[in-house]
Amino acid sequence: MPNAGRSSSVVELDEALAVVQDGATVGIGGAITAGHPMALVRALARRGVRDLTVVAPVAGMEVDLLIAAGCVKRVVGCYVGTEVVSAVGPIFRRAVEEGRVEVVDLDEAHCVVGLRAAGHRLPFMPWRGGVGTSFPQLNPTLVEFDDPIRGEPLLAIPAIELDVALIYAEVSDAYGNAQAVGTAHMDVLLGSAAKDVVIQVDRVVTTEEIRRNPDRTMFWAGASVVHAPFGTHPSSNGWMTADEQHLRDFAAAAKAGEEAIAEYLRINVHEPADHAAYLEAVGIRRITSLLV
Amino acid sequence: MEPASINELFAILLVRDMRPGDRTIQVGANMPMARAAAVMANLSTHPDARILIGLGVQGLGDGAEPPAVHPFLFDPRTLAAESLMFQSRIFDDMSRPDVFFVGGLQLDQRGNINLFGIPDGQGGWKMRGPGSIGLATMSAHCTGYYIVMPSHSPRTFVERVDLISALGDRTERERLKLPGGGIRLVLSPLGVFDFDDAGDMRVRSLHEGITVDELREATGFELVIPDDVPVTAAPTDDELRLLREQVDVHGTLK
Repeated sequence: MPNAGRSSSVVELDEALAVVQDGATVGIGGAITAGHPMALVRALARRGVRDLTVVAPVAGMEVDLLIAAGCVKRVVGCYVGTEVVSAVGPIFRRAVEEGRVEVVDLDEAHCVVGLRAAGHRLPFMPWRGGVGTSFPQLNPTLVEFDDPIRGEPLLAIPAIELDVALIYAEVSDAYGNAQAVGTAHMDVLLGSAAKDVVIQVDRVVTTEEIRRNPDRTMFWAGASVVHAPFGTHPSSNGWMTADEQHLRDFAAAAKAGEEAIAEYLRINVHEPADHAAYLEAVGIRRITSLLV
Repeated sequence: MEPASINELFAILLVRDMRPGDRTIQVGANMPMARAAAVMANLSTHPDARILIGLGVQGLGDGAEPPAVHPFLFDPRTLAAESLMFQSRIFDDMSRPDVFFVGGLQLDQRGNINLFGIPDGQGGWKMRGPGSIGLATMSAHCTGYYIVMPSHSPRTFVERVDLISALGDRTERERLKLPGGGIRLVLSPLGVFDFDDAGDMRVRSLHEGITVDELREATGFELVIPDDVPVTAAPTDDELRLLREQVDVHGTLK
């Protein structure tokens, strides 16, 4: 039989994001100031998708940005902030206090086992951390039960099933064999919990290059690959620090109010025609100053 | 030598209290003083420990280059390490974390921590915090944890927290069979605290220049105060030199 040839998974950014519908449950990879697929996040914000449930296990400004752009109904996770820049994500905080965005509180380990339960096709996984805390009161999907083996009090953490996972990896080949170099965070679990996966990468490499470190490879059938170099900015990747000044400017705009944040969105989300235009707006001097 | 900043004092007090059996010292988000303490302990009293900071696992006892203290936990420079650790794996070995560090919006008399925020009583939020990160899990399992409170006022030291992110209450921990050892110390800008046999917060020492009256005024509940309250021993020049010259080389804690 003739070999039909292997199909490329590399697609244009907007085409890849067509899988994200209004009302979808979307997992976003990375952690706090690191490894977020920000080029994908900005494109979602630009498109103006609505009513998302965002599962951002250890979130930073990506959640603030999507809330500011009016895309978010609910945030599922364990943290939204940028540490020394903003102890609490300022837009998240205001939206939650004003009742515009709902929070589903989880412990960081609940995110891990909940995503794992989805990957395992189980309704829940047991966990001990959170017993005796306010978690079950705040988030009634967490159910206290007595373990049937030893009779100890535990929590049932329900499966976190995702429509789409947006993940950053440094490289992928054309077939979706992706390798995160030092930025795996919770991403592999997000991918396994999702029906569709979009992987943002700095470089599309040959499969020969992937085969040199096969133990690093993550893959999900049907995943698409988007080429967006430096696309984690302003979060870090494995060789570029977070852009602390950019994060501070964003936090200042968020605190200053609607007009300042609209201006931020105009410059960084709406005006740049594509990812390259965003990088031009940030500037080559700023980008190169972040390389480690 | 220039006197210690409060974060430098916190780092030094944390190192002083670590126990000989502490083999794994793990640091979470937004606690640069704990990152410094982990590195400092590894370079001095705990050469056999592994320290988990950001993405990297380090053992500095063999003379390896210490990682700098960066403003963000997951700085890519923490990748220069002997092993890497990600959230998807970090909870797979819950018998190992010996030491962890916790901060909070509110801390109560029984040692419970709230990092969720302050509810408005109608299903919404009067003040929304960042979320509890991994506090519930780490505080349940680690051999011992330290609470570092950057502010000490009746709003942060409260009789009863509005919500519990990390269960400190010794009686409740025993009833629920939590495996970890619970709170070791509480550090605040005013002093050092632990818990008495009944599980109520007790003063261990007050920092230089702080009076018992100031402490009472700043605390939203009745602390257990011994007759003689010692002054927190000041950082030595050796401690400050190690901290500033080898650990916090960028002055993040200044």
